[in-house]
Amino acid sequence: MSAGAGHLRDHIVVRTPGERLALRLPIRALAAVLVLAGLLVAVFALSLVTGSYDIDLATVVLTLTGNAPSDAIDNVVWQFRFPRALAAALVGAMMALSGSALQNVTRNGLADPSLIGISQGAALAVVFGIVLAPGLDYSWRPILAFGGALTIAALVQALSHQKRGNGAIRFILVGIGVAAFVTSLTSAMLTYGDIDRAVSALAWLAGSINAATWNDVVLLSLWCAALCPLILGLSRIMSVLRMGEETATGLGAPVRWARYGLICIGVGFAAAATAIVGPLGFVGLIAPHAARRIARASLGLHTILTALCGALLVAAADLAGRALFAPVQIPAGLVTAIIGVPVFVYLLQRNAARSQL
Amino acid sequence: MSATTDHHGTRHLAAASGIPITLGVAALLFALHIAVGAKPLPLATVFEAIFARNTEVFDHMIIWELRLPRALIAVTVGAALAVSGALMQGVTRNPLADPGLLGLLAGASFAVVATSFFIDLPSMQFLPWIAAAGALATALVVYVISSLAPGGATPLTLTLAGAAITAFLAALTSVMHLLNEDTFENLRVWLTGSLAGRDIAMLWITGPWIAIALLAALALGRQVTALAMGDEVAKGLGVRTGPLKVQLLVTVVVLTACSVALAGPMGFVGLVIPHVVRLFVGSDYRWIVPYSAIVGAAYLLGIDIIARVAIAPREISTGIITAMVGAPVFIQLVRMRAK
Repeated sequence: MSAGAGHLRDHIVVRTPGERLALRLPIRALAAVLVLAGLLVAVFALSLVTGSYDIDLATVVLTLTGNAPSDAIDNVVWQFRFPRALAAALVGAMMALSGSALQNVTRNGLADPSLIGISQGAALAVVFGIVLAPGLDYSWRPILAFGGALTIAALVQALSHQKRGNGAIRFILVGIGVAAFVTSLTSAMLTYGDIDRAVSALAWLAGSINAATWNDVVLLSLWCAALCPLILGLSRIMSVLRMGEETATGLGAPVRWARYGLICIGVGFAAAATAIVGPLGFVGLIAPHAARRIARASLGLHTILTALCGALLVAAADLAGRALFAPVQIPAGLVTAIIGVPVFVYLLQRNAARSQL
Repeated sequence: MSATTDHHGTRHLAAASGIPITLGVAALLFALHIAVGAKPLPLATVFEAIFARNTEVFDHMIIWELRLPRALIAVTVGAALAVSGALMQGVTRNPLADPGLLGLLAGASFAVVATSFFIDLPSMQFLPWIAAAGALATALVVYVISSLAPGGATPLTLTLAGAAITAFLAALTSVMHLLNEDTFENLRVWLTGSLAGRDIAMLWITGPWIAIALLAALALGRQVTALAMGDEVAKGLGVRTGPLKVQLLVTVVVLTACSVALAGPMGFVGLVIPHVVRLFVGSDYRWIVPYSAIVGAAYLLGIDIIARVAIAPREISTGIITAMVGAPVFIQLVRMRAK
């Protein structure tokens, strides 16, 4: 590959020899990717250093390169803080991509997996599993969560379906109703269940990353590796879908299949993330929007930016949650909700023009 | 009801004829609510205990000390929430209005939690007032957010703003819960909306206020009917909409706050009941308000019976069941109205 000067000054164009493939990349978006990645590394460093056990940065670097001064430090960094930071970033990226996919399908900037019942569906299925089948292996949780989330997504889709119009408003309002219903089922399940199991389910429901292990990181990475190529593959159709379903159909895009595919991907991301750390509110809402504000980019690059924003947000939220009121740990899900609601209100001020009831 | 038409007279007669029937159903559920429980009591004993109390009899003690207070609180909370929802739907012309959906319940309970987090509450006396302040503030915030949105305060923007504010307050409540676990052990059941083990003393504190607010709602019913047809129509009919809206807001806040102080946040009661009532009595708030009160009371009695017997000997929080019933009604309303 060779990089050549672009036609416009704010883009660089990358061409393969023979110009069979050429990519035109906006500089601003590329810079944003670099800055966000840098910030993410900084948050990582901070979360490795911060905690009840004091470790300075030099020691952390030594430990990460395999020369830990003591077993205790090695243990704290490798077994507790590092997997936790990684899990937070992965979960954030996944929730962000889930929100991005759902917003594309509904063409509504306010769609968020935790608002329209998808996270709640995953939570219900997992709580069901914890309470009724406590012996079930941990790795089954994402599958259960996926089943629950997909059922709820299908239910919301079916209930809000109508013959004419795309029903974006109905979709969200029905989603809010379904979310309330599913939440009440989960609460009933918790009352019904054994108290010990209920307590462990309750901790998980707050969206806490504090118990993340390498096992979780591996599970999350596997799901990411499976779903990311799919979302990137669909991004071409997604960019046509942005113009509205009729235009997309006219341009020859398989709208129906893309819709179902995107819903499944969005649900898959949210379900896997929810299964590991519990419901994290509003990340899927903030990240895609923040990515759009930071830089205009093609959909592929926008997807990367969205994932980075989500990762940064949750990693920072987790860090803030455990540092602010130490030794008490505030679950990251609560922090993201507290940040997310003002963003939601702001988006509501700009977005609702198209709404009617 | 002057001598203008006989037609009006017969309509009112027809509407009024339902009152004894619904009252009868409510009374029956009231007796049933008292009879059902860990120790089932025959209805005869219930009537005997109520009308000819004998302090020596153990069953009478159960009824007077445990069951009757709970039934009375269910009646009060059901009536207050249903009327509160009816008034909200009328004044915002929003079929999806409900003290829970628009964030008032969350605001009231957040205010109570936050106050007990920062200071030791000297007495229960202040609880309803703190709840009222929280409900009022939240109502205003939700209304301002949704009316600033393009398109104004539509059912969609109101519901979205309400859902967002509820999520926000719930997160803050959880944070305070984590920071001070001991204080919150007793608040936790209350926060799910439960009628179990509630203090009858709170009923004596809030009762007069709820009674005043219900009477005010009855008195304002005629003007609410006009307001529900639109501000312009109401003005044309001689209603002073500004003062009326303030009076209604105060009434709604008092009803909501008192019910929260009594039983915690109990979602969807205010949504479901007025819609059911409208099916029978139409859009006249002079009838919607009293019927909402009676049917709301009967409804919560019935729900609370289910809450106590469904997984006996344990019980489900009443608020969980009102949400289970109410959320599908909400979805159906959206399906009927939203494009």
